[in-house]
Amino acid sequence: MARTAGTVLIVDDDAAVRSSLKFALEVEGLSVRLYDGPTALLADRDLPLCGCLVVDYRMPGLDGLQLVDTLRARNVTLPVILIAGRANKQLRRVAAKSGISYVLEKPLSDGALMESIRSALASYG
Amino acid sequence: MTVPTNMQKDPAALVTALEAAEARLRSIMQTVPDAMIIIDERGRIESLSTTAERLFGYSMDEVAGKNIKLLMPTPHREQHDNYLKRYLTTGERRIIGIGRVVVGQRKDGTTFPMHLTIGELRSANKHYFTGFIRDLTDQQVTESRLKELQSEVTHMSRFTALGEMASTLAHEINQPLTAIANYLKGCQRLLERIDGEPALVLHDAVSKAADQALRAGDIIRRLREFVARGEGERRVESLPKLIEDASTLALIGVKENGIAVSFRLDPAAALVLADRIQIQQVLVNLIRNAMETMIESGSRRELEIGTVANADETVEVRVSDTGAGLAPEVAAHLFQPFVTTKRKGMGLGLSICRTIVEAHGGRIWVDSRPSGGTIFRFTLRTAPIDEEPARAG
Ligand SMILES: Nc1ncnc2c1ncn2[C@@H]1O[C@H](COP(=O)(O)OP(=O)(O)OP(=O)(O)O)[C@@H](O)[C@H]1O
Ligand SMILES: [Mg+2]
Repeated sequence: MARTAGTVLIVDDDAAVRSSLKFALEVEGLSVRLYDGPTALLADRDLPLCGCLVVDYRMPGLDGLQLVDTLRARNVTLPVILIAGRANKQLRRVAAKSGISYVLEKPLSDGALMESIRSALASYG
Repeated sequence: MTVPTNMQKDPAALVTALEAAEARLRSIMQTVPDAMIIIDERGRIESLSTTAERLFGYSMDEVAGKNIKLLMPTPHREQHDNYLKRYLTTGERRIIGIGRVVVGQRKDGTTFPMHLTIGELRSANKHYFTGFIRDLTDQQVTESRLKELQSEVTHMSRFTALGEMASTLAHEINQPLTAIANYLKGCQRLLERIDGEPALVLHDAVSKAADQALRAGDIIRRLREFVARGEGERRVESLPKLIEDASTLALIGVKENGIAVSFRLDPAAALVLADRIQIQQVLVNLIRNAMETMIESGSRRELEIGTVANADETVEVRVSDTGAGLAPEVAAHLFQPFVTTKRKGMGLGLSICRTIVEAHGGRIWVDSRPSGGTIFRFTLRTAPIDEEPARAG
């Protein structure tokens, strides 16, 4: 299967969710990097220029939104897909303010994540 | 009504003086702001102040000469004559000069709480009693309002605690379900690329398993929606009023614990967009925590509740205490459910606070006080000034 351009960076504190995503996305031909939390991601000084972030909203320490704000302050402009237990209007509003393109609800419905990732990566052509 | 002694010998002057005295009394009764009733020793109404007329709904003419028991409900109505007789024979004071809270009955049959003080008046050979009445309706309203508040908030907090447990459960179950669905999805894709009968059968079985994972997810989604019913309505609310109500509830019994409470409310932080009962729960939880830590530890017991209006259309509310500060083992997991250092604690208070505050679009966090103790802070959105209070937002 042809490799799609761009790396998917997954930030999730749940090990099973992390590696299952890696499996499912790699089967789809995507390259994947895993981070077990905001600290690990922020410590990575070699983030790809082309790719997208899949971030869990509720994590210990910084939450997903705070992580994205911190990244934006560092001029990291990668598109972000935020995955929340519950995505109410309020959260979507705040997420949009932080320049988050996609907010998905758990449990992920069939295909929703894949679609979001593909359209996030499509912006790189 | 004293009659000057030098007039007593002149009957005409006496009559004039009596008339004048009566006129004076009448004018007093018309103008005293208090409800006042004068009865004779047999309980017959001599006179009623204007305020008393208004309070009981009777005019002076309607009740003049009638028995005062008219103005009280059973069983006092039947007993009042005996009360009077007993006093006149024994001289034992049960209410005279003491004052008591009793119930009055209006002309329309409705009753109301009142404070009654009775004075005694003897002139010549006549014996009068004067009743001073203070209507307590408003004060009792305050008390029943408090009860109402209390039941609203405790009912809601039970509901919220249930919701918090359900959504914790939903979150915990969602994680493995998400992982299952991801693995199955990957397997399906791989199987699509393999030829042969067994691969087809496997693909079919795997997609059926994936359907079941999604079904379980649906059940969780429904559970969460059920819980979300408690999300409540946002209205424009007065923040000082919210704080006053919540602290009244939370501070019941505080005096006995020697906790000094102070408020520092920013006049600019007046109106917020909030679900009243939910924000009261947040405040009650924070205040209770603050009290609990100070009762445990403190020599100094000072609770302060403050507000500050921020520039960005939010207000910050803080609850600070002079307690022991956060235990290191909870500090890292604060605001997560089931985190507690208390023997009887459920560890739900702060996680409920976070759920509510975040649902309101705010943030909640904690600072420690340099001088010892803890400050919990949260933000709320202010309401635009032109919006009237209590309209759905
Ligand atoms: N003001 C405070 N000062 C010091 N520690 C606090 C304070 N507020 C909370 N804590 C700590 O955080 C823990 C969690 O608080 P939380 O309100 O969530 O649960 P709880 O008070 O233990 O139980 P519950 O509120 O469900 O009855 C407490 O057990 C306590 O250790
Ligand atoms: Mg508590």
